[in-house]
Amino acid sequence: MASSSMEGSMPTMDEYEALLSTTDVELLKRAWRSEKAAPEILRYDFDLVGRVTEQLQLMEETVDEKSTSGADPLSLSLYQMDLDRTLFLLRSYLRIRIQKIEKYMFHIRKSDELWNRLSKGEKDFASRCIDDLKHHLEESVLSKLPENYQSVEKQSVISEEDDMVPEPRLDTFVLCRSKEYLSGIQLEDGPVEDRSKLFEMEPGVLYFICYKSIKPLVESGKIDLL
Amino acid sequence: MAGQSDPELSLFSAEELEFIAEDEIVDIVPNLKMGPLNFISGDFGPFIPQIVAQVPLWLAVALKKRGKCSICPPQWMSVEKLTQVLEAERNSQEMSEQLPFHYVEISRLLFDHANDDISDAYMVRSLIEDIRDVRFHKVETDLEAFNGRTIAVKIKNLSAMEVNIVISVLSNVHFHYIISPRQLRR
Amino acid sequence: MYGRKACELVKEFASVGKGQLTQYNSDLFEQVVAECSQHHLELQSLIRKMQEEGLDVQTARNADHYGALIHHLSLVRNKRCLMAYVNNRAEIIRSLLWKIGSVLPKEIEEKFSHTEEEYFNKYSGELKKYMSKMELDLTVDMVPPKDPYIKVRVLDDIGDGIVLSDKTANFARHSIHFLKRTDAEQFISRGLMEELTG
Repeated sequence: MASSSMEGSMPTMDEYEALLSTTDVELLKRAWRSEKAAPEILRYDFDLVGRVTEQLQLMEETVDEKSTSGADPLSLSLYQMDLDRTLFLLRSYLRIRIQKIEKYMFHIRKSDELWNRLSKGEKDFASRCIDDLKHHLEESVLSKLPENYQSVEKQSVISEEDDMVPEPRLDTFVLCRSKEYLSGIQLEDGPVEDRSKLFEMEPGVLYFICYKSIKPLVESGKIDLL
Repeated sequence: MAGQSDPELSLFSAEELEFIAEDEIVDIVPNLKMGPLNFISGDFGPFIPQIVAQVPLWLAVALKKRGKCSICPPQWMSVEKLTQVLEAERNSQEMSEQLPFHYVEISRLLFDHANDDISDAYMVRSLIEDIRDVRFHKVETDLEAFNGRTIAVKIKNLSAMEVNIVISVLSNVHFHYIISPRQLRR
Repeated sequence: MYGRKACELVKEFASVGKGQLTQYNSDLFEQVVAECSQHHLELQSLIRKMQEEGLDVQTARNADHYGALIHHLSLVRNKRCLMAYVNNRAEIIRSLLWKIGSVLPKEIEEKFSHTEEEYFNKYSGELKKYMSKMELDLTVDMVPPKDPYIKVRVLDDIGDGIVLSDKTANFARHSIHFLKRTDAEQFISRGLMEELTG
């Protein structure tokens, strides 16, 4: 990738950063950071995870090959480190998602929008976890309560909404950075008199802002969470 | 079972911050000849003795530990530059913009593994500690002004470590906001 | 006072450090459940009384209505405490699988209720299924990786021809070596080597 530009002059720092930002590892790192910072579960990047998994497999084969062919142990240990770093990133990304799914499974299951953010594997996992936890709660608590109070989702039959389901707090503050100049962001929370004010974001500057207000911009990839 | 925010889920640990900082690019002067490394995270090298190469910090540290290179500390890690930064930090409540986001982690990694490559390492280290203290103090003062009516805060030039302080303080502040009269009136 | 036992139950859960589990208190738990049944009986008898007096239960606002309301609210509060107790314990039980693995020491397992034991085993199965589908063990690598090799100095005469995982080495006193962290740790912990940084 860098080989042709390396021949002549050394690339500058900016070129290097542009170069690095295009690797799938860098994209995965962004997805990992956003997932970690966002209070709710974000869209599963199926293509990205697929590409990274493929590169990991290729690299594992290369490292195996090199180690049996008696390649230079120095470069071998460096390749192994690169592999370990990428593996950690992928594991940590999938782990954070699993943690969020476990914490908010009933809530995620209720909404098609949230449910469709999960991968096929995550959906299967979540469905089984919901059954297990529901069964556990029924056995331990609900079956022992009077009939009108036996719902997992509702406090009692007279509850109009699902008032027993844990939900992520979308009005929590997050730290974010925009790639481009954004204007006209509607603040959805806060004192009423401030809500009509539009907010703007300069590129590269860090903002602490209520997650709810920038949620669509996170989803469209315009803003990265840190 | 109302929703709770979980700061532990959203905060990066010190190890994770270091992991992220290890991807920052630094200059090294190799003392070995080695072909290019085609990593998943990008292509680096080839390495030719005494010719400066640009690599991520983790690779620089790994080569340094094996005695295969010296690391060129980033420009901002000089006594002259850091003295200026400290001065600027002390003279204004604004955060100076002259240090990178991961300055704490980068400098710690270099002190741990490439101390002999840093000129006036002792002075550099103590200047960075002073800067860090001044900045932490400023962040804390800024946060005192933060209250339930705040809806967004623009913070220029905050570093990665400082972000964690802000997030942990803010999640508490926000908790009070959540149970403010708006909620009680319902 | 209504709700006091449920409050005790929740407080007991919270009295130990984060991520720690107390002994499942089935005694107190069942007392709260019994309180719920009692509330329900009283609630029903008040409603019956209102019906017998020919009042419209939906709209009447007499003392019996408010009495019934208090029993209903107390029952709901107790339910929330019981659910919070079981649900929060379930969260810790899941975290044990990540921290310790699918076989728990007896001291921890003894703190589970019977259904909690079942729940732990099922959860362990679900996670295994997911991981085998992804062909990735997610329970390892919990912290970012470090260089697997470290530089060490030998502090004592350890000897020649020591067999390590990837080589055989001679460890003369004061000599400096570059070893796999996992190989070096046994010597470091015995004070025979020290790790060098910088």
